[in-house]
Amino acid sequence: MDRVIEVAEFLNLAEGKPTAVFPLGLPVLLVRRGAEVRALENRCAHMGCPLTSGTLEGDILRCPCHDWRFNIRDGTFLDAPELSVKVYAAELRDGKVFVRIP
Amino acid sequence: MKKITIYALSTCLWCRKSKKYFEEKNVPFEAIDYDKQDPEKQKAMMAEMRAAGCTGSFPFIKIGGACVQGYDPEEFEKHLK
Amino acid sequence: MNINARKEALRFLFRPIADKLGYKFTPVEEDADFLLEKEAEIEAETGIPYCPCQARTLDRAENMKMVCPCIPFHRAHYDAMRRCWCGLFVHKDVTDPDKLKQVPESSTGGRGAGIK
Repeated sequence: MDRVIEVAEFLNLAEGKPTAVFPLGLPVLLVRRGAEVRALENRCAHMGCPLTSGTLEGDILRCPCHDWRFNIRDGTFLDAPELSVKVYAAELRDGKVFVRIP
Repeated sequence: MKKITIYALSTCLWCRKSKKYFEEKNVPFEAIDYDKQDPEKQKAMMAEMRAAGCTGSFPFIKIGGACVQGYDPEEFEKHLK
Repeated sequence: MNINARKEALRFLFRPIADKLGYKFTPVEEDADFLLEKEAEIEAETGIPYCPCQARTLDRAENMKMVCPCIPFHRAHYDAMRRCWCGLFVHKDVTDPDKLKQVPESSTGGRGAGIK
């Protein structure tokens, strides 16, 4: 069964800057986009580098280690769609951010 | 006899196989390991490979006026004739 | 750095990536062992497990396309050869890599032209 875990205060998230959180100990990153928040696995599909210190341009997050690029909307790796990072459902309630962990 | 020069990487399996190929045929060659050269020499080697239409993949082998990228005994044979 | 331990770690990290891309480690164990050892040595020196058969330049964007497994950045070329340039990975259906030819990218419709 899915677990819905509170991970952050919405107002504490900087616009467009990835933030690391650890629901149930899992590495997850949050990206605030206007009134929305996206949540994805904070571990590169290549060698496991944390993606939070990567660079975000539009919807594309570039890993700081070896420049692998992922679309934050669906987690896909731009240079091979067979590879991806997990995407989690993020929910906003009462100014708090929750992440749904399957 | 045609002059043979092998541009190689010291870490490359196919560069080793290429050197072995010419050694076993008793064909003399000069081998230059790209990764053991100074940056200026590396730049010149890379420019030469790219000018020949190649990428930075090794080995790059000059046989007389021809060049072969990769370990390809059939091509070596053809150009040695 | 314990090179042998790092070789095993690289195997562990790269196997699932290659698998999803339709590739596997070369069944020629001696070659896989040699190539992984060179990658581990390159990683110990530079911090990055670059392909042992491709040359690095001062261009980061170019260099990042030769970090192992570099299959995603050379897909058409490697699919045509049925293996990656250094030979660490072969297509899943390959049983005898010695029968494969190493073909330059220019011959498979990629960059460069006129070689051979």
